[in-house]
Amino acid sequence: MSTKERLVVVGNGMAGARLVEEIIARGGRDRFDIVMFGDEPYGNYNRILLSNVLAGAHDAKDIFLNPLEWYADNGVTLHAGARVHGIDRRARVVHAADDTILEGYDHLVVATGSNAFVPPLERAYVDEGVFRDGVFVFRSLDDTDAIIKYAENAKTAAVLGGGLLGLEAARGLVQRGLDVHVVHLMKHLMEVQLDRMAGLILRRSLEGMGLHIHLEKATCGVIGDPSVEGLLFADGTTLDCDMLVISAGIRPSTQLAIDAGLDVERGIVVGDDMRTSDENIYAVGECAQHRGRTYGLVAPLWDQVKVLADRLTSKKPNAVYEGSQVSTKLKVAGVDLAVMGSRDGDGDDEEVTYSEPSRGVYKKLIVRDGKLAGAILLGDASAAPDLLQAFDRGRALPENRSELLFALSQDGGVGGASLADMPDDAQICNCNGVTKGRVVAAVRGGCRTLKVLCDTTRAGTGCGACKKDVQTLLELTAGDAVAEDPSIHYYVPGVPLTKPDLVRAIRERGLHSVSSVFGALAGGVEDATSKPGLASLLKTIWGKEYDDERDARFINDRVHANIQKDGTFSVIPRIYGGVTSPAQLRRIADVAEKHHAKMVKITGGQRIDLLGIPKDRLPQVWRDLGMPSGHAYAKSFRTCKTCVGTEFCRYGVGDSTRLGIEIEQRFQGLESPHKMKLATAGCPRNCSEATTKDVGAVAIEGGRWEIYVGGAAGASVRKGDILCVVDSHEEVLKYMGRFMQLYREQAKYLERTYGFVVRVGIEKLKRVLVDDEEGICARLDADVQAAVDAYVDPWREADWPATPTQFSNALDPTDGAPLIPLRRASGAR
Amino acid sequence: MTLPRALEPPGVATHCPYCALQCGMRVARTEGTDELDVRGDDSFPVNAGALCVKGWRAAATLAHPERITQPLVRDEHGTLAPASWDDALDLIARRVRETQERYGRDAVGVFGSGALTNEKGYLLGKLARVGLGTANIDYNGRFCMSSAATASNLAFGLDRGLPFPVEDIARTEAVLLVGANVAETMPPMMRYLDAMRAAGGALVVVDPRRTTTASSATLHLRLTPGSDAALANGILHVLVRDSMIDEAYVDARTEGFAKVKALVAGYWPERVERITGVPQAQIIEAARILGRARKSMVMTARGAEQQSQGVNNTLAFVNIALALGQVGRSDAGFGTITGQGNGQGGREHGQKADQLPGYRKIDDPEARRHVASVWGVDPEDLPRAGRSAFELLSTLGDDDGVRALFVMGSNVVVSAPNAIAIEERLARLDFLVVSDFFLSETAALADVVLPSAQWAEEDGTMTNLEGRVIRRRRAIDPPAGVRTDLEVICALASRLGRGHLFPSSEPETVFDELRRATAGGLADYSGITYARIDAERGVFWPCPGEGHPGTPRLFAERFATSNGRARFHAIPHRAPAEEPDTEYPLYLTTGRVLAQYQSGTQTRRVPELAAIAPDATAQLHPATARRLGIAHGDAVTVTTRRGSAQLKANVSPNIREDTVFVPFHWGGAQSANRLTNTALDPMSKMPEFKVCAARIDGGER
Repeated sequence: MSTKERLVVVGNGMAGARLVEEIIARGGRDRFDIVMFGDEPYGNYNRILLSNVLAGAHDAKDIFLNPLEWYADNGVTLHAGARVHGIDRRARVVHAADDTILEGYDHLVVATGSNAFVPPLERAYVDEGVFRDGVFVFRSLDDTDAIIKYAENAKTAAVLGGGLLGLEAARGLVQRGLDVHVVHLMKHLMEVQLDRMAGLILRRSLEGMGLHIHLEKATCGVIGDPSVEGLLFADGTTLDCDMLVISAGIRPSTQLAIDAGLDVERGIVVGDDMRTSDENIYAVGECAQHRGRTYGLVAPLWDQVKVLADRLTSKKPNAVYEGSQVSTKLKVAGVDLAVMGSRDGDGDDEEVTYSEPSRGVYKKLIVRDGKLAGAILLGDASAAPDLLQAFDRGRALPENRSELLFALSQDGGVGGASLADMPDDAQICNCNGVTKGRVVAAVRGGCRTLKVLCDTTRAGTGCGACKKDVQTLLELTAGDAVAEDPSIHYYVPGVPLTKPDLVRAIRERGLHSVSSVFGALAGGVEDATSKPGLASLLKTIWGKEYDDERDARFINDRVHANIQKDGTFSVIPRIYGGVTSPAQLRRIADVAEKHHAKMVKITGGQRIDLLGIPKDRLPQVWRDLGMPSGHAYAKSFRTCKTCVGTEFCRYGVGDSTRLGIEIEQRFQGLESPHKMKLATAGCPRNCSEATTKDVGAVAIEGGRWEIYVGGAAGASVRKGDILCVVDSHEEVLKYMGRFMQLYREQAKYLERTYGFVVRVGIEKLKRVLVDDEEGICARLDADVQAAVDAYVDPWREADWPATPTQFSNALDPTDGAPLIPLRRASGAR
Repeated sequence: MTLPRALEPPGVATHCPYCALQCGMRVARTEGTDELDVRGDDSFPVNAGALCVKGWRAAATLAHPERITQPLVRDEHGTLAPASWDDALDLIARRVRETQERYGRDAVGVFGSGALTNEKGYLLGKLARVGLGTANIDYNGRFCMSSAATASNLAFGLDRGLPFPVEDIARTEAVLLVGANVAETMPPMMRYLDAMRAAGGALVVVDPRRTTTASSATLHLRLTPGSDAALANGILHVLVRDSMIDEAYVDARTEGFAKVKALVAGYWPERVERITGVPQAQIIEAARILGRARKSMVMTARGAEQQSQGVNNTLAFVNIALALGQVGRSDAGFGTITGQGNGQGGREHGQKADQLPGYRKIDDPEARRHVASVWGVDPEDLPRAGRSAFELLSTLGDDDGVRALFVMGSNVVVSAPNAIAIEERLARLDFLVVSDFFLSETAALADVVLPSAQWAEEDGTMTNLEGRVIRRRRAIDPPAGVRTDLEVICALASRLGRGHLFPSSEPETVFDELRRATAGGLADYSGITYARIDAERGVFWPCPGEGHPGTPRLFAERFATSNGRARFHAIPHRAPAEEPDTEYPLYLTTGRVLAQYQSGTQTRRVPELAAIAPDATAQLHPATARRLGIAHGDAVTVTTRRGSAQLKANVSPNIREDTVFVPFHWGGAQSANRLTNTALDPMSKMPEFKVCAARIDGGER
């Protein structure tokens, strides 16, 4: 038998469930066995959000604060859907569900909330407590659900009550496509919170949204049988409607307390300790009346439950509740309305008002002793957050009240003025504290490029946001004398030469290795990040004569395979044009099985990928395959994807398959600044996607081929540009080779063709490569031929490793250790 | 002086001595002179040549007239007098022995830093555990990254500041940046955010101040200090309401969402507006921006983390990224922006009281066995978990506290909360040793000061905010008489009779040992070599083998939790430890300014930087200033329950009316940390630097 005290909470709503949460957060489970009763057969949901659910803006299943599992998880016994009908104060037992449930208590908390107030209406009920078809109150999830269902077949709805909840319900029904009438007894809407002026403006705003507002209308009955067809008013007029939602206010739910003999006035009377007239019984929430006030908003309820939780758990045994400041916002999309505190000032208060009815804006502040005692913000509630906090905390207000009414623009800085008009001491670069005057002086002092200007003044070298402004100042000040900056054209950062100059210097001085380039052209300073770029370039220039120092390579290039995230490698043998044979497939299958490839995959480039090969098995895999490397790991010519072409396809106009094989046999392994993916298409249907490849050929009528360059379909997507249209396979190979050689020579390291083509411009490329404007075509053709001739299948290193441990899984001494040049090891000479 | 040949332009590639972005820079001779100059390194992908004003002036601290170039020992008159290395080290060894004999091993404490290289942090941790045999080692990163680290471990099972390279930021579509002023604290990072914006992306900044970063944002949520979790819950509420949750991801890759969903049902926009002061329309707008982006990022920094709810705040924002299904997706996810230069590596290799190298837990028997075997000691001899930074500092001089303290690379008098109390604590020590290159406020209180080498004078590795391990390279020799911290650690170990366990002070050798010690741990460096770092422009951990390519992007397939799922955490809003009241009516928040760094030991000594930010200021709103009769530039006193600071009023509309902001780069009477609250986060032990209650007096010109 538990020695814990028994705490029973009647009510599982915003107050009751929250109270139990607060008690548990204070360690109350060690002290209490907690039993809860809830009228509804659910856990606790957020009642505030019912108007969102009605409007279709919030899914009902998403508004649960405490789903049923929560109670079980926290050791709380919940009687969901069990109505408590009696409290035996002498025996300290509550009776529920027709006495089928009895729970004894040491402490009892009544948190029964409130009920919808239904004014006397003739013919509203068909039976005691049973509404006529089409009549609803709007209080619970079930109410909301029923309203939504009925609204599906209704055209016109009337909402009885122009208070906060009534207006939210009305707006929700508008959102569901109904024609909605709000019928209100009083002279203006939301008269509890708003003064006349605000009520008037609100009415206009709501009417602007399609609501019909009927003020000073006393409703006396419902018309229609068996279901609602209209309303009858005291003045004899009527209103046709298909449904009626009654939202005319709430009444504290006190019957249980009255029956138990507790002190009840409008609500259950409690003291500052939240205790009722029975010292073992407390009341919190909408059912409680504290210092003569009842509350219908959530914030005060949560203030109350905190105090009660503090007391019950003895966290703060003397905690007291002293009443709450109330504020609320109307949750009606399109109408900004926030209200707090008093609606009207008394004689000594200062009232600050601002009214702009044409825009639907009205603001009013009540200032008492320099502090905010109340506010109405309608139409523009942008100042609401600050005012709410000033109100909640009793913060002193600034003397200039207009600062309170308007959320003042906080933009400072130089945004507005044009650069030319700005004073010299205006700051251009915040990161480095550089003024306009300093930038201008530096330009006058000889800085004529953006980079030099930035380096000199340091402007734009931090976050870079001001670079645009610096460029503008440069142009404004230097006019035509603006020069281009040389260093952005360096091929690699570690060697201060543009690519053509670098190529020339390498050729002139006969530099065959990366280290010799650093030695001769960079003062002997080896820049690690420049090595792979230089290695690629040297291979381009020297082909077989390149002195391969392996520390200049990435791991992929060192072992001729593509490293995967788990440290294994992928092996893709070359399959020219993507055309294979049964024998080849059989061999690949055997190899995959023998070496336990973790996955065999058809690649996007029409190749077969064996994944999950450990480094030390690579040579054996290559040997067993007996196929050349597919170069899928390298900055080089990768693949030429093909379509079926003329041999089998009904649409093909050019033999794209044959051409693709020829291209691949010719250019396989060709080193380049970045990878090159090619394709050939046998007709303009472009099944092999040749127009979005680095280089592509598309057959058109008349046996002709369009050559596309600079296409991309990866992280960037770009349609290639047509370089030229040619008549034969030989010419395709010639122009492709010419383009690739120019790209090899002039592109920056890691610049894909799509960047290169855009940078140089397709018109310029046509002039150089087709019209031979610079007279270099013959040399380009010869150089690419030399590169083709120098091709050696790197997988032949299977039999002649470049270093003894090239494929071992142990520490790789080539990481910085002396090297054996590739040409000797490969035996190519 | 003739500079070595390597310094001919383009010079030696290394990294900036300041923040965690670790911009690549080149140290070179200025043409025609013998002066050193630094430039941004165009080839380092993170900054691509960019530097901020601190970086540009980084060389100024090297040949600075205030450099300490020989050990200082406090003499019988109480003044710090020059001494030989032998005398200084002998004295330290003797006092360590005396203290431990009298009070026990744990009476000697070590306080490290997130500015130290991986090698130094590692060896310092080893010195504490096997050189001194003390449990009491912690470091200033506790004041920086501990909340983020705890949150990441809870949510993802792994703590790496950014689980993606910074370049991914440029490709995402929306970024929620919480409590980070990167435009001032790491300006080159803005390039990625700007590129994201230029490509049509949106930046949402959460900050009580309209910082430079906030004013460049698509949307600035100007929240009340200390209301971060409420704001996060409010945004998530709207995401749930508007059906923008990635349900398939939540089902497949996470756990705990149901509880979070129920919790945030109670954070509807009107309520959150009232708690946070952020207009509900902006809360909804922020949610829409994030919810509509196909890929998005959420990043937090110290603003949300340096609070007594720091871990919870971070977790609340993690929830958003998880609910949107972004973590582990490409160009998307959750990250925290590390502050100190090696704030990442500094927290991985054993400087923390509860950790061993490789992000291993010191109470895990398997971790103890592994590390002990690398170190060649008995696992039983390894100390258990010691006191965290603030707990260590606040018991200094107590009978059961630390009585002799060794501080390396940290200026705790300025950087710890409630600085006045810390200063009193240091005075109660029997013995204080500080290793630094300037006589910092903390060094000035020491019994022995050891002059140490600086960034451009030493080799080693740093791990930047992306988890990218990079090389700090020696460009010049330290001044005569100055030793590297590694040399000092080894020399000290040797005098304590433990020299055999510290065979080398060569950075690469120490790194190789670190690799072995981290092998198999969460932060596995075993596959990273100096050569690979050179060839690959840095290597991302974890990298469990030399054939392993490193891990630029984490969590693509599974999380590092036991079941591979990321964990949601339901985080209710809880108020900060101290809130404004009638006596202290304002919020105080603290932070950094562009031209200064951390405790200012370095940057306050650089004339160009001091000229940009000469004084400690108190930023306050014009309306607040007017009410208090304060004009811009007035001398004001900011007071909290801990103490007062003398500051210069910076009247600016870029701050909330209820908040005052004080940067923390100054010491003495200008120290922001004389004001800050020592309330700790219960999980991370992070002090509440970012919010407390304050009052402003003054108005004297």
